[in-house]
Amino acid sequence: MTALGAPKQTAGVQPPTGMGIVLSIVLIVIALALAYLLLQMAGLVALIGIVIGGALVAFGVHFVPVGGAPAAMGQSPGITTGVAMLAAGAGLAGLFAGAWAAPLGLAIAVASGAIGGGLLMAITCTMVNIIYVFGMGIPAASGKVAKDPITGDTFPEYKSQGTEGHGLPFVSWVGGVIGGALGGFGGTLIYLELLGVYQAQLPVLLGATVEQIAPVAISLAGIFAVGMFLVNAVLAAYNITGTIEGPHDPKFKRFPRAIIASAVASAVAGIVALGLFQLLGVF
Amino acid sequence: MEEIVFGIGITALAGALATIAGAAEDTESDIGSQGDPNSQVQLAPQMGYVHRIFNKAIAGEPPAYGLWVALGAGLAWAFMAMQINPILAIVLGSALAVFVQGVYATTAYLGRTASLSKFEQPVYVDILKSMTTVTMAHAFVAIFATVTVCHLMNSALGHPFPLPLLGLVWGIALGAAGSATGNPFYGKERQYQNQAFGAGVPIAASGNIVRYAEAGQRNSIDNGFFSAKLGGPASGICFGLIVFFELWRTVVFEPVAAGWGAILVGVVVILIFAIIDRYIEVWARKTFGPYVAPEEASS
Repeated sequence: MTALGAPKQTAGVQPPTGMGIVLSIVLIVIALALAYLLLQMAGLVALIGIVIGGALVAFGVHFVPVGGAPAAMGQSPGITTGVAMLAAGAGLAGLFAGAWAAPLGLAIAVASGAIGGGLLMAITCTMVNIIYVFGMGIPAASGKVAKDPITGDTFPEYKSQGTEGHGLPFVSWVGGVIGGALGGFGGTLIYLELLGVYQAQLPVLLGATVEQIAPVAISLAGIFAVGMFLVNAVLAAYNITGTIEGPHDPKFKRFPRAIIASAVASAVAGIVALGLFQLLGVF
Repeated sequence: MEEIVFGIGITALAGALATIAGAAEDTESDIGSQGDPNSQVQLAPQMGYVHRIFNKAIAGEPPAYGLWVALGAGLAWAFMAMQINPILAIVLGSALAVFVQGVYATTAYLGRTASLSKFEQPVYVDILKSMTTVTMAHAFVAIFATVTVCHLMNSALGHPFPLPLLGLVWGIALGAAGSATGNPFYGKERQYQNQAFGAGVPIAASGNIVRYAEAGQRNSIDNGFFSAKLGGPASGICFGLIVFFELWRTVVFEPVAAGWGAILVGVVVILIFAIIDRYIEVWARKTFGPYVAPEEASS
């Protein structure tokens, strides 16, 4: 055990188990079959979009450099908050931008979502470095690698004694922006798929026009997208356990396991969201 | 044209309000010790350092602010549906949300501190009485400003999300920005003033927080005074820039190239921040210099 609480042996690759993969495939196939039964092709396409969106969110979380409490004391590099919280903040800012651009079409909406998430992370990471440098007087130094893979800066001589590094090296900054962008992209995709389904279902169910049901459809799709975002962000945070510096961190290699798990979680949560009105009808 | 000028005005106002919200949020969370270095306040009595610092962290800042701002926005939305003037509705909604924050702060402080009784950490009733109202006041500023930003986005700029959902989204973003930017300043520079400036805190020093101020024992109002000098304003600038750029690029550039203009401008802004960040990083390496010679470190 290190003083930061993460057992050494959990770093690096941790492949998913065979049993886990088989169970995941079974659950996803069941969810897809249910989607087809409930809403035919439209349901199937929507659920595939939701699964891809969820997997992108979980993958994106692995890029975000998170240092937690040790980072707040200049004891390890990264941003001083929890993985799920920061990723959720970035992804939801992306969802805000994507939902705004939704009338302009799928491509522009998801691109806008990605840029929205990336922009939040770019500004946050820059301000974090400003505080590290001008408020605490410490340069960026990674504890996981000797050299920054992008800029080639060397770290060991800039790392103060008794710490695992500090600040936010440039590679972590880039990782943060990529993570925010993937989160915004995935979250917006989930939102748009749900919105499409609700806009088709609600007018028939309530006997109203698309314009009349728009506030209900947008609110429901938005709430489910936020919920699924949090599910995937928390799931990825459990896979990371504690802190991660970004794409150069050995823990980054754990992402395949999180992608499989989040695909299953998104499929199961997605089928509940898609079949919401059928479920309400049952009761 | 007139519409764009109006949009830019609203964008600037929203950015200014967000800056105030960010500054108040970070100061509030540092007084309540709710940000990420809170583990040090929790750890200190276990290491033998009894203190008089408030600690209400039972959930992180982003979900807590997500709740409070969504609550304020939801109540304001309900009041507006009752035909109450929007400004009064936002004030009433934020005030009610702050009472929830006050209850949360009280129970969290009592619960967290009582759990440390076996390490002889007392619950100070005077701390509870004086700090809770101060965090509530700061939380009111943060919640009121953020709910107003959400109302501007919804009613003046036409965002499709209803007010409570916007409150949840921007509450979490506010907590994320404040907790990311303001926390290192409070965590390292305030809690560990016994450590040398210009170096990280060694792992062996965990829990050994500074407990004495210039006159007597340090309390959390001293921490708020300290945070308000740099951590708070920096968090405010962070959140203000996020809100401003998100709105500005959409309001001004969405009509360009069928929506791609806003995306392109977003990419350019990200690249500008990349250059600023790299410049700061290189400046720090040159100015502070290496702690040890490169040969020694690589051996």
